[in-house]
Amino acid sequence: MRYRSQAVAYPYFAVALLLFGLQIAFGLLAAVKYLGPDPLINLLPFDRVKAIHTNLLIVWVLTGFMGAAYHVVPEESGTELWSPRLAYIALGLWVLMGLTAVIGYVFGWTEGNKLLEQPYPLKLLIVVVMLMFLANLLLTIRRAGRWTTTEAVLVAGLILTALLYLPALLTFDNYTVSIFYRWWTVHLWVEGVWEMVQGALLAYLLIRLSGVDREVLEKWLYVIVGLTFISGILGMAHHYYFVGVPHYWLPIGGFFSALEPLVFLGMAMYAYFAMRRSGLSHPNTLAVHWAIGSAIFSALGAGLLGLAHTWPAVNKWTHGTLITAMHGHAAFFGAYVMIVLAMITYAVPGLTSREETTLERPLGLWAFWLMVGGMFGMTLAFATAGIGQVYLERITGLGFLETQRKIQVHFLMLTGTGLLFALGVALYLWDFFVVSPRLARTGAPRSATAAP
Amino acid sequence: MTKRGTRLFFLGGTLAATLVLLVLTVDSHRQFPRLTHAERITPAVVAGKHVWHRKNCVNCHTLMGEGAYYAPDLTKITEQRGVPYLQAFLKDPSKFYSEARDRRLMPNLQLSSQEIDEVIAFLGWVAKIDNQGWPPRPLLVSGAAVPGSNVGGSVPHAVSTDPAEQGEALFRTTPPGCFACHSVAPGVNLAGPSLAGLGRRAGETVRNAGYQGKATDAAGYIRESILHPSAHLVAGPSYSADGRSFMPDNFSTLLTDEQVDHLVAYLATLP
Repeated sequence: MRYRSQAVAYPYFAVALLLFGLQIAFGLLAAVKYLGPDPLINLLPFDRVKAIHTNLLIVWVLTGFMGAAYHVVPEESGTELWSPRLAYIALGLWVLMGLTAVIGYVFGWTEGNKLLEQPYPLKLLIVVVMLMFLANLLLTIRRAGRWTTTEAVLVAGLILTALLYLPALLTFDNYTVSIFYRWWTVHLWVEGVWEMVQGALLAYLLIRLSGVDREVLEKWLYVIVGLTFISGILGMAHHYYFVGVPHYWLPIGGFFSALEPLVFLGMAMYAYFAMRRSGLSHPNTLAVHWAIGSAIFSALGAGLLGLAHTWPAVNKWTHGTLITAMHGHAAFFGAYVMIVLAMITYAVPGLTSREETTLERPLGLWAFWLMVGGMFGMTLAFATAGIGQVYLERITGLGFLETQRKIQVHFLMLTGTGLLFALGVALYLWDFFVVSPRLARTGAPRSATAAP
Repeated sequence: MTKRGTRLFFLGGTLAATLVLLVLTVDSHRQFPRLTHAERITPAVVAGKHVWHRKNCVNCHTLMGEGAYYAPDLTKITEQRGVPYLQAFLKDPSKFYSEARDRRLMPNLQLSSQEIDEVIAFLGWVAKIDNQGWPPRPLLVSGAAVPGSNVGGSVPHAVSTDPAEQGEALFRTTPPGCFACHSVAPGVNLAGPSLAGLGRRAGETVRNAGYQGKATDAAGYIRESILHPSAHLVAGPSYSADGRSFMPDNFSTLLTDEQVDHLVAYLATLP
């Protein structure tokens, strides 16, 4: 940590991780409901649990992005943050919004629009917090009068994230038109501007962890975000299959979304060459694990598993089945969960003023492998359940309910591997909230540097 | 490539893709009214859409394949279930499905009769949207469209004294094993044609000039089809050849008169 105001990132990371833990608790509850019967059916039915699970994911990943930006921008621009106070106020409002949303969902206060369930007043609050956040970053950069490519891509991705939330404020009487614009937020976030954020954070981490030449890495960063938008903007058409839009969206979706894996292939190669060229001698091996892991796991989850069902002729059969859940879980984990955890793991030693090689490394590695292994198992569970569902329900014409009964064993596997994943999350939280602060107190603190 | 070159690649590619998206968006708006039959979006449909959202339906069900995967897809539900059925179901789903057997059940959403009618109107509008012919074959909530795979749980032989309900139980019993060749889901043609909407179609058939049999009304036609399958043939190379139906013609000996009455009563009510 070179600038004191980078410390703002720490409470953001803490909030992100707490919400992560809560998200996983609700995820496990949802998995158990798949096994059924459900004793909570009238108290907390599946729909509410699922909405909380997905919304917490979005909120905590965004919290992580904000924390990461507060860590990256001062360092890249070479100045203190414009206003740490504004950042703390924004975090307070953000937490208020998140908790109100979760409690609201429990009691059925929802707009019931998939992934954009936030009630309207909370949507407005989200916009306000995003504006405070962006203002803080932009004023910091303006005061410094300089910025790097990595930082520019990161901030541009965050500005576009805020802009693309605006379609979520629109409502339409025509359900098909609602779906059409819902994806402008959801798809262009996760398969567009969030990939900019992921690419930029990956570049930031690789530059520091591997010491590879910044010019080379930033050159390829442009190629990666270029490919992201060339494939991703029109690749949105793969969400327009079978929802009442003009038929030409089918071939467009097939063609452009088949290009989307190139982005993740690019990121994986990026990480590989950085590693080959400079070696990974950085003492924070955990951060290296998470950064390289993100590049590899997103190539699998977002790239390959997306490609697996993106052709219209395949999607005709898999549309609306657990195959989608398979892709969704692996993609979100690889691309966004892992990159945020990589940033946190990289930043924490600096934020807590301690050496980067410390005794808790085995604990951190356990957390890493349990999460990676657990998610791999969950992906397989969803995949096998989905393949069973497509065959039984879609191909042979067995009823939905009978099909779900026949694939029960995969829900058992989902719950079991989900528990492994949850254990990994618990260890990560234990490391962050209990072990690290203790080390900071007892360990030899590095000389905390003030602003130059 | 230089850094400047890759930056141009990024900016140019993004701009081009955005422009194409905007042009296609304008064109899509031109086509939405026709593809979605926008003229049928009545106030009841709009109110039903609000019920759909307010009750968070999309976080269990899918509609046009979008939503959550915990409960059945509802895109074509109004083509598979009549309005009275859906009204009764939404009043109390636990009367229709067993959580003990299916491992999951729809909670009672405590909807008012008006809300129920509105959400049914909304689903009825959705079912008519031109969505590229999806699903490619009907998605059943329960039951089976495959011969011999009646795994939907056993149907009691005498559920009540109602002839139609007795007929349904008989339909799913072997013999006569009607279900093995006939689906009651619309558009699912197995060895025999789908029996969905048979009561309505039977009336039309007997009034049609091309009708070859002796029946004079819908019930008579259904009875004739069971006992004398070749009296009038449904077109299709997999259903008959040389003027003879592929359907067995021994049901007059296999079934009692009363059983045939029950089957007719049941088949005439199929939605």
